Amino acid sequence: MNELPVRYAGDEDAANRVPVSIVWEITLACDLACSHCGSRAGRRRRDELTTAEALDLVAQMAELGTRDVGLIGGEAYLRKDWLEIVAAVRAHGMECGLQSGGRNLNDERLAKAAAAGLQGVGLSIDGLRDVHDEVRGVPGSFDLALAALRSVTAHGMVPSVNTQINAKSMPQLRQLMDLIIDAGATQWQFAITVAMGNAADHPELLLQPWQMLELMPLLAELAVEGRERGLFLQPANNIGYFGPYESTIRNIVDDEIHWHGCVAGDTVFGIEADGTIKSCPGLPSPYAGGNIRERSLRDIWENSEPIAFTRRRTVDDLWGYCRGCYYAEVCMGGCTWTAHSLFGRPGNNPMCHYRALEMDKAGLRERLVKVKDAPGHAFDHGEFELIVEPAVAPARVPDRILIDG
Amino acid sequence: MAEQGRIAPRLRLCRGCRQFVGWEAPDCRFCGGDLDEMEAEHEARQQAVRDAAAALQAAIEAERP
Repeated sequence: MNELPVRYAGDEDAANRVPVSIVWEITLACDLACSHCGSRAGRRRRDELTTAEALDLVAQMAELGTRDVGLIGGEAYLRKDWLEIVAAVRAHGMECGLQSGGRNLNDERLAKAAAAGLQGVGLSIDGLRDVHDEVRGVPGSFDLALAALRSVTAHGMVPSVNTQINAKSMPQLRQLMDLIIDAGATQWQFAITVAMGNAADHPELLLQPWQMLELMPLLAELAVEGRERGLFLQPANNIGYFGPYESTIRNIVDDEIHWHGCVAGDTVFGIEADGTIKSCPGLPSPYAGGNIRERSLRDIWENSEPIAFTRRRTVDDLWGYCRGCYYAEVCMGGCTWTAHSLFGRPGNNPMCHYRALEMDKAGLRERLVKVKDAPGHAFDHGEFELIVEPAVAPARVPDRILIDG
Repeated sequence: MAEQGRIAPRLRLCRGCRQFVGWEAPDCRFCGGDLDEMEAEHEARQQAVRDAAAALQAAIEAERP
């Protein structure tokens, strides 16, 4: 990869607040039953956008300068007009990709998608067969996703994989990488499972903060090895932050790229199937800026208070460890979605490598304990307490500090 | 548009320990190395790689019929 994909935002985009990349849940209907699904997808929303409303929204995105539209669900292909939406995105000069569980993403569907202009497909694969089928709730879904991945390449689209990293999938990441390279994947996006929706009901799935000490060296090793084998790892916004592997994990074409804070509402936003606009697709309703049935997209983007939180907050809005961290001014507490899902407010994020390293140096570690259940609706969350306790075992010492090559 | 987006402060990559640090100090807060000196050594290594690649490319071109 010699240049950054168009969905990567630069300083000029940030300064001008160009919504470079949009993630659009076009339906909440889904054919899987994932135990970590943040939106608790399954049935379609009663008031999902009509075709005319969806196509009008595409035109409004293009007018704001959007360059990349990622379609998600639920399962996006379960919406009958999804290819019309793909074609409209492409007709407006924007790139269009799909994130899918792949259960029914058969060859015929992929052929039609390619003909409509779809450029890339990311298959959600959350471990090897046993773990994937268990967390995705459908036996056989692993094989179907893998078959879809192979078929994506055959239809000339960019094949990628996205993986949830959690207590069950983390031990399988290395084997999974071999497998998806064999199946033709060229990009691998990964995110730590966030305690939202169904995942909040399964705390046993969630990683603990101290496990960042094991995860980040592993991801760094996989990133280096993956690049050598033509697979580019793309960490989601809740992977990090800083420590000795920051550059290695985040580097695509420039090793001086580093995490610089949540960009929700600055260069990205999310859309729910009913037209609700949020600064990030994962965030709950307090971050909703409005609905395109009531206001124009430009009006919501430029004037809505909930969309503006990342550019108006300061270090004083951080709390807990993050408030006094060396990286506070740059990092601003990492992923808003992750922190909010744990504590009901952003600004203190224990899922952080630098923080875990500093704790470890002091002989301590942090552990999350769920103290309140989630109420049971889309994008909801429970409440967690953070326990600081003596580290019970020495942290893994990296075999080597990865150097630039 | 009245309100600009947030531009985060840019950090510097220490070529000794690969940790990111602020620009305010001459030495890395993690490994103690001289940041400018290590950057210069890194750039020299990178230039040597570029030179070797260019020489290889030139040799390949020269062998072409």
